[in-house]
Amino acid sequence: MIRQSWWKYLGALLIIYVIIVGLLTPMKPGVYEFTPINTKAGKSFTADIITYNTHYKDSSQLRAWLKIDTSYALLSSTIEIQEVNKLKVTFDIPNYNPSTSDVVIADLVIDEKDEHFMVLPQALYITQDSSQVDEGALAWSLSNIENLSENTDFTFPFRWITEESMRNLFFHVSIWFAMFILLIIGIIYAIKYLLSKDLKWDIYSSSLTHVAIVFGIIGMLTGSFWAKFAWGQFWINDPKLNMSAVALLIYLAYWVLRVSITDQDVRARVSAAYSLFAFAALIPLVFVLPRMMDSMHPGNGGNPAFGKDDLDNTMRMVFYPAIIGFTLLGLWISSLYIRFQLLWESYMIKRSN
Amino acid sequence: MRYLNQKFTTLILTLSVVLLTIQDVAAAPFEDFFRSTGKIYVVVAIIAITFLVIVLYLIRLERKINKLEKLQQHESQTS
Repeated sequence: MIRQSWWKYLGALLIIYVIIVGLLTPMKPGVYEFTPINTKAGKSFTADIITYNTHYKDSSQLRAWLKIDTSYALLSSTIEIQEVNKLKVTFDIPNYNPSTSDVVIADLVIDEKDEHFMVLPQALYITQDSSQVDEGALAWSLSNIENLSENTDFTFPFRWITEESMRNLFFHVSIWFAMFILLIIGIIYAIKYLLSKDLKWDIYSSSLTHVAIVFGIIGMLTGSFWAKFAWGQFWINDPKLNMSAVALLIYLAYWVLRVSITDQDVRARVSAAYSLFAFAALIPLVFVLPRMMDSMHPGNGGNPAFGKDDLDNTMRMVFYPAIIGFTLLGLWISSLYIRFQLLWESYMIKRSN
Repeated sequence: MRYLNQKFTTLILTLSVVLLTIQDVAAAPFEDFFRSTGKIYVVVAIIAITFLVIVLYLIRLERKINKLEKLQQHESQTS
């Protein structure tokens, strides 16, 4: 298996597929900018909207709504098309909100007949001085959001702020997944070594773990760069980031540990046992603790993990091949390292004889 | 060797000073570039980082193989 080449070609092909399809698939249209973001109830409100990937012309059939929860909607009074991606939309906000609270947050929905509808969640804050729930609820229930046009072409969903950098999912996230798969295979070989005391399995285990650490470093660097443009800073105080940094340090200690022990059998035994404990520490650090705290990562601190909007079926068609592709690439690199180390060992044995 | 080390340290120090000065001046254009066209260049940069690190690792591996080759050649010449 290690000398066969079909799976190496498969991995390379999958990565080429991921780069081409992952970069060339267009995004669905979306709302890029919406200003201003707050208004008072009972006023006429005009918003400047900049959209992304839209092709509005004078004949475009546009509709826009403000939406509160799932039950209340308000149709816009006028829509002025300024450019292919610029709109001026006016809403006559009713005198009262359909709620007793001072502020309600409305989502924006825009629909064009030939393009996919778009949603900007939490677009507008509407404040009111006094509340009349019944009157507000009546005024907000006059229009329904219906007949939304859907584009069934192969496109990725547009998310506010993330925008095109959503495509990083195929690289950053799948590199982390590949790292975990490499570590798990490494653990299997570590156990195999501990059961058989055959040094060959130690070489397998350590090579896989080394390449996994390199993938971890890539995951950290790419994540840090993405964070700069999605969250504003290269490193934020996010539990997932800090915990994965701790986990990576534990694994870097594994690297140091192997270099510092010269006796082969001792090195193999200590590092196999260490890698078992390191992996046992990694799981709670990366998968359990961040979920219990507030984290910016999806699937943590109450955020949905891979929700329908974040990872739809079109993205899955690239994301899953990306995981397999990067895992195979990692296995390929570690197989080279394994073969080198096996040659090195046999050379050393020959020389000592 | 010592001379080389000194040269290297000077180079690193100069580079870091230059980078720190550039950072203040050029921070805005740098970020503007990556924020343009729906942040697509962030993806490009991340693919570049990924393959850069992989290539650096492969260079490291190749150096080790070179070392083994040299040792074996040396051995076969002496025997």
